[in-house]
Amino acid sequence: VKTKTFFQFIAPSLALMLVLMAAPLVMTGYLSVRNCSLQMELVKAQESTPFGEQEILSHQAKLGSNGKALQTCEFVGLDYYRKVLGWSDSSSAETKKSAPQNEFLGALQFTLIYVFVTLPFVLGIGFLLALGVNNVTQKLKGIFISASLLPFIITPVVAALSIKWLFRDNGLVPYLLSHVGIQVFWMAEAWSARLLIIIYGIWHVVPFAFIVLYAGLQSVPQDSLEAATIDGASRWQKMRYVTLPHLMPLIVFLSLIHLMDAYRVFEPVMVLTQGAFTASVQYLTYFILLQENNPYKASAAAVLTLIGILILLIPLLVKTYREQRGGQ
Amino acid sequence: MAKLVLSTAVKFNALVGALALLTVSAYAKCADITGKGDINIIGNAFPALQHISKSMEVCKRSGLSIAFKMSSEARQETERAFGSAGVSAFDAAVVSMGTYSVLRSKGQLQPMTDLVNKYRARYNIEERMLVKLNDEVLAIAFMQNAQSLFYRKDIFDKHGLKVPTTYAEMVATAAFIKANEPSIEFPIAQTFAKGWDSGTEFTNLMVGSGGRFFKSGSAEPAFNDASGERAIELMKSMLPYMTPNALASNSDDVMNQFQQGKAAMGVLWASRAARMDDPAASKVVGKMAFAAAPAVMVGGKSATHLWWDGVVMPKNIAGDRDTVFQVLMEALGEDTTRSGNDTAIWIRSVYRPTRFAGGVLSSATAGAPIWPTEPFFGLAHSEIGKILPEALTGRLTAKAALDAAARAYARTATEQGFIKPTRVSTHSQP
Repeated sequence: VKTKTFFQFIAPSLALMLVLMAAPLVMTGYLSVRNCSLQMELVKAQESTPFGEQEILSHQAKLGSNGKALQTCEFVGLDYYRKVLGWSDSSSAETKKSAPQNEFLGALQFTLIYVFVTLPFVLGIGFLLALGVNNVTQKLKGIFISASLLPFIITPVVAALSIKWLFRDNGLVPYLLSHVGIQVFWMAEAWSARLLIIIYGIWHVVPFAFIVLYAGLQSVPQDSLEAATIDGASRWQKMRYVTLPHLMPLIVFLSLIHLMDAYRVFEPVMVLTQGAFTASVQYLTYFILLQENNPYKASAAAVLTLIGILILLIPLLVKTYREQRGGQ
Repeated sequence: MAKLVLSTAVKFNALVGALALLTVSAYAKCADITGKGDINIIGNAFPALQHISKSMEVCKRSGLSIAFKMSSEARQETERAFGSAGVSAFDAAVVSMGTYSVLRSKGQLQPMTDLVNKYRARYNIEERMLVKLNDEVLAIAFMQNAQSLFYRKDIFDKHGLKVPTTYAEMVATAAFIKANEPSIEFPIAQTFAKGWDSGTEFTNLMVGSGGRFFKSGSAEPAFNDASGERAIELMKSMLPYMTPNALASNSDDVMNQFQQGKAAMGVLWASRAARMDDPAASKVVGKMAFAAAPAVMVGGKSATHLWWDGVVMPKNIAGDRDTVFQVLMEALGEDTTRSGNDTAIWIRSVYRPTRFAGGVLSSATAGAPIWPTEPFFGLAHSEIGKILPEALTGRLTAKAALDAAARAYARTATEQGFIKPTRVSTHSQP
């Protein structure tokens, strides 16, 4: 009976997870080891357009008896994975030397920089904001909380656009900087383009850390703090030995969410730089799907992206798992 | 864990791509349409299309619903729907000629010849609107676009400068302006953003210098030759006169540079021209003029490409093709051109060109070619656009960048069946 009730309770969410998460995942994996292409033949044709007539020599798909293009699908194993990772390049060592860096590895590099640079700032600034708001008078709290949450409420694309408009040619920031004799072209070099996206990332996510930590601060046990005061602890010591340990599970939770979220960074890349110096792994998958129009290769990139996030999360997942078991 | 999943779900997450779903209603004309059903149409989001979708509203009545989806990812959605195994999610699509070439080569377009003949008189379908392959109508074009030279007439007049007709003249004029016009620090503004934009610039210059993208009669790349290198060198020669942010400058940014009075000339889409005179956004109202895009070589053709936009229907259409066709033709009627005259360069003969269209018309007169129609051209275009920044910043030589793009393109073209693979895959299964 207990098992039955248990399953009745979890069935809806289990079903949802199967349909919305597991099934697409399996499908992506399936697509990533296949390739379908049309059978093309060269034909001469007369084409007329608003700009006149011309004879064209064009590739045309062979059509089947039902009038549909004939398609050949095959199992290609890990071919696409090798291609995405740049392992399939059979070119000579000479051409390899002059070739650009592999896109996926380049994108992974920037994604990891983004993830690990933003994380401490998100936690640190979020914590300071939470402490600050916690210490202002009750009257002002409402205003401060609303103001702090604003960047978080704005749609990412809109937020990224507003950052872009602030920093592009003739934007407010370059304009103000020019008054003190500084001229920076933010999208012109790798360091500044990357810095912009990182600034966006911090600005946009800090409110989430803030609100979670602020909630955590409300539940710091007052008696422990009082006991510490009686024992002669300084403000710093109370923070270090009472408040922070109390907030630790939340900090782990925030790190977990932020790692997952930051790893998927996409909107600022798309809006701010269109990938110049700053392709992220998520952007790359999108690019392959959009520009190359190749769902099979994009699936391989997506699976690799997924493997990346799993590796990234292992330490935190292990920690959470241990804690949960310990709790039981 | 459940809490965590929930929190993640609750977390902000916005869909990228401005997507407007306009379900339209009203009635008046369209009285001749007797068909019923749900008609779904897809297209990109731009002013002329918004105008067309409004004139389509009129046809909606009880039993006939019309939904026009405007999406920035219309091309992908169209290709997916038209190529799907079942019926297409869209009964018609507004496409540019690049997408048309892909759909045409895949044999996914519904011929409309009989419908055109049936309704030619009622909707006054003009011959020049028809896009035909071997006398079969596959698309109906309604507007054209091309880049033209935008320039600051006031500055050119002040210094007695001649409007450049070649890129060499443009660079020389830019050097003069940079040295002599204090209000302009970066005289040239052009869309050199990584990806589609810079790929398009390269295409203009490459074709303008007589280069060929592919080996004759095949999909094998040929753009990594001397003419490709010349195109890149030409782009590099413009960089000193452009904002250092050029590699992230798309059409919006370039338009802004002109509107703010920070640029003196550049080749940009004609569809942006009218915005130069928008007093709410522009500081150069009435100061801009438009001419043919410069040629690459002296006496050469204008280095831009002509584009058309039109409507197509899929072979795997779900609705009644006759009704869908009538709705499309109602929306592309003469009154639509008349009432939206300034929103596009229309193909219908009732269109009255404005001063903003002058650049395109002179580009066309100066021999601008038609955008490449090879169905695999888009693949080459995106590989080139992706790697151009490496060459423009000098991290790779022009040759090395083009070779890398050619290799990457050959791989994707092979994956999609345009180039025959050299070896047979050993993994095939039935």
